[in-house]
Amino acid sequence: MEPILTTKDLSRHFGGVLAVNLVSLSVYNRQVHSIIGPNGAGKTTLINVITGRLGASDGQVLYQGRDITHRPVHERVRLGISRTFQITSIFMGLSVQENVRIAVQSHLGGSWSIFKARSGLSEVNAKTQAILERVGLTDVLRQPANSLAHGDQRVLEVAIALAGDPKVLLLDEPAAGMSPAETDQISELISALGKEMAVVLVEHDMEVVMKISEHITVLHQGGVIARGTPREIASDKQVRDAYLGGDQWAPLTSV
Amino acid sequence: MRALKDNPAGKLILLGVLVCLVILPFVLPNRFYVRLVNEIMIYALLAMSLDVLLGYTGLLSFMHNAYLGIGAYSTGLFLMHAWSGSVWLAMLAGVLFTLAVALPVGWVQVRTGGLAFALLTLAFGMMFYTVAWKWYPVTGGDDGLMGLPQPTLSLLGINLASSGNSTAMYLFTLGVVLVCFLFTWRVIHSPLGAVLEAIRENEERASFVGINVRRYKLVGWMLACGLAGVAGSLYILYRGYAGPGVMGAFEGAGVLMMVLLGGMGSLWGPLVGAAIFIFMKDFLSSLTQDWEIFVGVIVILLVLFLPRGVAGLPDLLRRAKAE
Amino acid sequence: MGWIATTVDIILNSLVLGGIFLIMGVGLNIIYGLNRVMNLAHGALYALGAYFGFTMVALGLNYFLALLLAPVVVGVAGLIIERLLISPMRKRHMIYTLILTYGLMFVIDGLIKFFWGQETRFIQLPEFMQQTVSVGPASYPVFRLVILIGIAAVVAALMLLLGRTRLGINMRAASSIPEMVSACGINVRRVQISAFVLGCILAGTAGMLAGPLFTVFALMGHDILISSFVVVVIGGLGSLRGAVVAALLVGFVQTLAEFFVTDMAMVMVYMLMALVLVFKPLGILGEGKFE
Repeated sequence: MEPILTTKDLSRHFGGVLAVNLVSLSVYNRQVHSIIGPNGAGKTTLINVITGRLGASDGQVLYQGRDITHRPVHERVRLGISRTFQITSIFMGLSVQENVRIAVQSHLGGSWSIFKARSGLSEVNAKTQAILERVGLTDVLRQPANSLAHGDQRVLEVAIALAGDPKVLLLDEPAAGMSPAETDQISELISALGKEMAVVLVEHDMEVVMKISEHITVLHQGGVIARGTPREIASDKQVRDAYLGGDQWAPLTSV
Repeated sequence: MRALKDNPAGKLILLGVLVCLVILPFVLPNRFYVRLVNEIMIYALLAMSLDVLLGYTGLLSFMHNAYLGIGAYSTGLFLMHAWSGSVWLAMLAGVLFTLAVALPVGWVQVRTGGLAFALLTLAFGMMFYTVAWKWYPVTGGDDGLMGLPQPTLSLLGINLASSGNSTAMYLFTLGVVLVCFLFTWRVIHSPLGAVLEAIRENEERASFVGINVRRYKLVGWMLACGLAGVAGSLYILYRGYAGPGVMGAFEGAGVLMMVLLGGMGSLWGPLVGAAIFIFMKDFLSSLTQDWEIFVGVIVILLVLFLPRGVAGLPDLLRRAKAE
Repeated sequence: MGWIATTVDIILNSLVLGGIFLIMGVGLNIIYGLNRVMNLAHGALYALGAYFGFTMVALGLNYFLALLLAPVVVGVAGLIIERLLISPMRKRHMIYTLILTYGLMFVIDGLIKFFWGQETRFIQLPEFMQQTVSVGPASYPVFRLVILIGIAAVVAALMLLLGRTRLGINMRAASSIPEMVSACGINVRRVQISAFVLGCILAGTAGMLAGPLFTVFALMGHDILISSFVVVVIGGLGSLRGAVVAALLVGFVQTLAEFFVTDMAMVMVYMLMALVLVFKPLGILGEGKFE
């Protein structure tokens, strides 16, 4: 099977610092592919380059075989690449419903109709409702996003990312700041999503990573030091050294 | 503040104001006040257009009045040198010219972030002011455009009145401003307006839901400048004169203040703000020569204590009552 | 012979103008880098420096002493402004602070008109500065050379401050990573306030230096403000090095344009700005912040 997204020797430097160093990886459809590594390994920078938030200093990003390395952000999104951020990035002043609705509208079209009411786009409304039902946010539809609890905001962000019918969904620490119960819920959601599309997950919570990933890439100081299944990664000496036996590693030793 | 369409009291007030405005020139004996309200309506349109830019798209402009000026001058020059017969044609020419100027400027400006955008509006605004001030052969320099012809106002071929008739001009202005308000209201509440709001709320997230932020910022900009151009045409038709003063930095601050006073992000707020500002200016400038200090002080106080302006008062009062 | 003299004139004038822009641009960026505020009242503070200096000299103070003191007074004004107006706005959206400094500009401008009137003022220069001296084939006014020396002194002092003193180093660190800096036990707030005051002192210095250049008049702050923004935008928001390069570039272009087109010289400058932005939205050195 052909990978849906690949990076070929992707690099990004800031001044003298090589944040992403010749990273090559392949992401397959209907798979949860996790990217892990100690702090400062370059995970978020990698996501930023793949999604276009940052430019690549070298190398390529290929999506469905096409080179998208220099395409602007909004074009990549339209092609089917969606993401969430480590620090929640949603439309705080708008209602929960509008947060998702505008994303759906952007995807399905209708943004140029100036003589219709916003609520007049029936297809958009239906899809918005469907997504909100799926993530379980229907009871807070009309509330402004900034009034939601942190965990709900993170879920809302995933909902927004889903609005574009993405084929590749990149999630940057979706469970950050969540309670164990919320983390379980979102893990289930991500796992389910991983059966429909390609999911790239950056996470620090090793339990989550080990439980739901099919494939793991380990980064250290910007470069790939290991790839494999959760079991393979758990027993990889290089990976263990990279984490230097920190707390993050504890759950893995029990796999 | 609840949306207008859900607010029956609000709708009634709006209707009441409209009725008052329509009968005003027939009941007020003092022509001065008719002209003052005429001026308020024009600036209300300008302030509303700035709100489209600032309150809805999230872009700050320090000299939005530059586009009123461009609209005024181009309309005037059209009347003087091209075709002095039709008010509508002159207005169309003025608005089209304003849009033609706004396009390249906007194109350059939207390539930058919010802060640089604001600084650029100041720089470009001063550039246009300088051109109006120094290009004597065309704009009349410091003296401005004078001796404007007064075409007849006609609708569908029927000659209604001369544009020199202040009552006729007043009603004409009211009609045009009303149409512009309804049009803008429609656009803001349309899917396009939703895109602009998303950009205002979170530009980055907007691009990450597939919105071409630069393109839509340009759309918001063009809309705002086009409306300002309409205001400019109305201005010179009502005044019969346009000078570089209308394009200066201080007037630019005035428009911004109207939006702040009234409350940004609510289409009717700037209309109220314009009225308050013009009455205040009229009052203060008769008291003292240094009234610009007061304008500055009021801007500072507004920003510190009442950033959401008059439109934010109901919420403020509600919260105060709850305590 | 004529054109050599003209060239010398143009070069020297570019340096003087560019130097003033430099001090203003760097001051703006220092304030911006640490306080996230683009100080629209900067031009008014510049004017304040010139007017304070004028009054000091008119009261009998030595010109050079006034040159040192006037900026200090502006710095004190800056401190008051920071405490009363800027600090309370720290948590609010930047757009509001921007508008606030815009209002402040009008207040200061108005106060200047109120206290000093609308007529143009002339700073009484010491005898030797009122003469000209030969620079090669050209005959150049001494006061302009003094301004050049003054600018050089300010630049040197700044480099010393930012490079060698603890405050300066703290400032540079705090402008890139404030969180890290406070973790190191440095009082970030004090550094931010100092940066604001420093910026105001620089504005006052530029004003005092420019007094004899442009004469002291009520609206002197406006033109310089716009030019300073052009410099900051071309050089990249927050970039000190960019501001230096941009200042000299704009100084040169404006001087050249004034020589050829006089009235529309500023239009040339705006075209330059538009051009730079089209190709390098982050400033000529690409070091600007995108905000």
